[in-house]
Amino acid sequence: MRKQITEYLDIDLINEMWVCRRCDHALISAHENYKKGCLVYDRNPHEIQPPEIEGEYTFSPDPDWIRYVEFYCPSCGTLIETEALPPGHPITHDIELDIEKLKEKYLLTKED
Amino acid sequence: MPIDLDLNERYKPEPITDYERECVAKLKPGEYEIYSEKFNNIVLEAKEITTRIGISGFFHAGDLIVGLYTANGDLASAYCGVYLHTVTSQIAIKYILKYFKDDPTVGIKEGDIFYANEALYGGVHNPDQAAIMPIFYDGELIAWAATAVHQPETGAIEPGGMPITARTRYDEGMKLPPIKIGENYQIRSDMLDMMANMVSRAPRMQIVDTRARVAGCDRIRVRLQELAREKGKDLIVGVLRKMVDDAEVAVRRRLEQWEDGVYRSVAFFDTIGTTNALVRCMLTLTKKGDRLTFDFSGSSPENDGSFNSFAHIVRAHSAIYMFGVPFADLPASSGIYAPIDFVVPQGTYLNANWDAAVANAPVTNSATMSVIAQAMAKLLFASGQHQLATAVYGCTGCSFVVAGQNQWGVLFSDILANVFNSEGGGARTDRDGIDSWGFPWGCWGKGPDVEDMENEQPHLHLFFKHRQNSMGFGKYRGGAGTTIGVAVHSVPSLVYQSNVKNHKVPTAQGLFGGYPPGTHPGITVVNTNYYEKMKQGDKDLPSNAVQLITERTISGEYVVEGNTRDARPYQQGDIFIGNSSGGGGYGDVLERDPEAVLKDLEKGLISEWVAQHVYKVVYDPVTRVLDEEATAQAREAERKERLKRGKPFDQFMESWSKQKPKDEILTYFGKWPTGEPVRPVVRI
Repeated sequence: MRKQITEYLDIDLINEMWVCRRCDHALISAHENYKKGCLVYDRNPHEIQPPEIEGEYTFSPDPDWIRYVEFYCPSCGTLIETEALPPGHPITHDIELDIEKLKEKYLLTKED
Repeated sequence: MPIDLDLNERYKPEPITDYERECVAKLKPGEYEIYSEKFNNIVLEAKEITTRIGISGFFHAGDLIVGLYTANGDLASAYCGVYLHTVTSQIAIKYILKYFKDDPTVGIKEGDIFYANEALYGGVHNPDQAAIMPIFYDGELIAWAATAVHQPETGAIEPGGMPITARTRYDEGMKLPPIKIGENYQIRSDMLDMMANMVSRAPRMQIVDTRARVAGCDRIRVRLQELAREKGKDLIVGVLRKMVDDAEVAVRRRLEQWEDGVYRSVAFFDTIGTTNALVRCMLTLTKKGDRLTFDFSGSSPENDGSFNSFAHIVRAHSAIYMFGVPFADLPASSGIYAPIDFVVPQGTYLNANWDAAVANAPVTNSATMSVIAQAMAKLLFASGQHQLATAVYGCTGCSFVVAGQNQWGVLFSDILANVFNSEGGGARTDRDGIDSWGFPWGCWGKGPDVEDMENEQPHLHLFFKHRQNSMGFGKYRGGAGTTIGVAVHSVPSLVYQSNVKNHKVPTAQGLFGGYPPGTHPGITVVNTNYYEKMKQGDKDLPSNAVQLITERTISGEYVVEGNTRDARPYQQGDIFIGNSSGGGGYGDVLERDPEAVLKDLEKGLISEWVAQHVYKVVYDPVTRVLDEEATAQAREAERKERLKRGKPFDQFMESWSKQKPKDEILTYFGKWPTGEPVRPVVRI
């Protein structure tokens, strides 16, 4: 029994794991931040929004101020999440679900 | 000064009175359904009237709200868009009830007209002005009406009402706590004169717009009294209260169905007005049972600039999302907030001391809007409400100010309402965000036509169009923002000002792998030969900001700087550029339909570089026919590259956690990385 949580992630309620919806790879325990089960890359925003003019202000975020932290599925390379963060900023634990409540709600419902 | 900040906490429904309970119980089958909708139509009618009478940009664009309230000041219905004002207008009504009802020198009588624009008494910032009228029938107070619209001038130290150089509340101009400005359905001339005197950069706009707000309220009064004559006042009181109570019941029921958990988001911006500075907004959203709690602990400390807020302003900004997205089908009433709590720690920039400058509170709360929209989208998606989950809308708050004497000889101060009302929509779970979508603070606002703007303001548009590469890319991309260029025309000089940010960092985040939108600098060109070139019929005039800067076919002194720019004079022919933000993207860029990428390219919404390097689409450079196989290969190769360059989390954190922005970037961030205050803020 899997419950979809994001575009790319399910929670396997039986095994209590985050699972990639594209390749079924089990990332990490559902009790953990799924980002800890990803491959992570520190992306210079200039590689996504190219500077369009020269100088300090370019129409592209300043890489000294902000980075795009990309989280990939370690099996299929799907970009699961992107977070714009200042360099070194703590990674956000963005989804922390009540797993017991989820199991109670969906596993029992299914058996019913 | 009798600052009663506790009143600002009264955003939830007041306890039901015996009379209200009696009136609810007396409602006959069908009456609630019929008359609640009638109330919605009445506030819509009042909104349309207000829009047509007012003359400043916000009226013109429809960036306003008209609300109908119970006798106790609870919001029962509102139309439409700038929902934050309806939440705060409740506080002004409750202030009037608390302090004036039994005060014989003021009192609350039939025909009274009240007015307020003080942020401390429930307002947002002092440009936001509200007219408030009690509605009586048979000598009894049965309801209240309020119309709130931003006024683009306050008599502050800069034109435009949102001075970036304000350091304290004393720099911000006219601040009216709730006061009575009219009796017997007549606005007092001396009160209008007082306002015109305090807002003397644009006195005519102040007077006409004040009348427009009052007219909106009065139309609600007329309609309710007509209905009371026809059906009795008990029906009105009963339906209004039931709108509040039913909304609460529905919200609780809906919340029960969503997944319990904690959802977090952060957003950043890059100025406190006078200097570039990284500021953080942090949200921990807890959903448990039938309750929601928004906790903004961890947000950066208050600052000595004008980019601050108060807690009730944060709550009010949440209404834009709550009324507009998950509960849009319910009465826009205070009942929605019954099960919703807020923690906004004192001392953060979101809950500054009472003497703080909050002139740019809405701009700072664009970060509030980003974190709420992102955390709520994750809650809603996890709860199966995919159609409601949306990446963050472009929420820069592009209020570029223009002021001076217009071509008709009238003093004015206003905003560039077209670029202001055309930020990009956030990408959805199944489609792109809408290009030039609208005004994130009020979803029903419209960007006026260029001709419309030029009739009111003495400048000529070089261009007003979608801005290329402005959106967050993704499986579904954010909507494009816009770019505008204007040159002073018909008058010797004008003043422009910008409280717009996002020149260093985007505030909106993407969703589920989608990228945030780009940034945009402040650009001006002075002492130009623009009009000479136009007279000559030159064909090489630029059609967007990037072309203006890179090709420099117009001679002049070019300035590219941060977007936040203090008020400065510009002469005829000088050029001012403004941009709005695109919306956040949704999902992995490699999953975007390659044909959709080529369509974006054809429309000029993205560049060739983005199509090839971000979306990894391969096509014939001349015909732009897609090479499906090569595209599939390029995308597969990129996925393999990701697996090579991505590091396991712990290994990534080893190097990442040692990084830190330069000290000058963190001056106003608070202690790194916790955001705790590092020094006291002293205001004079």
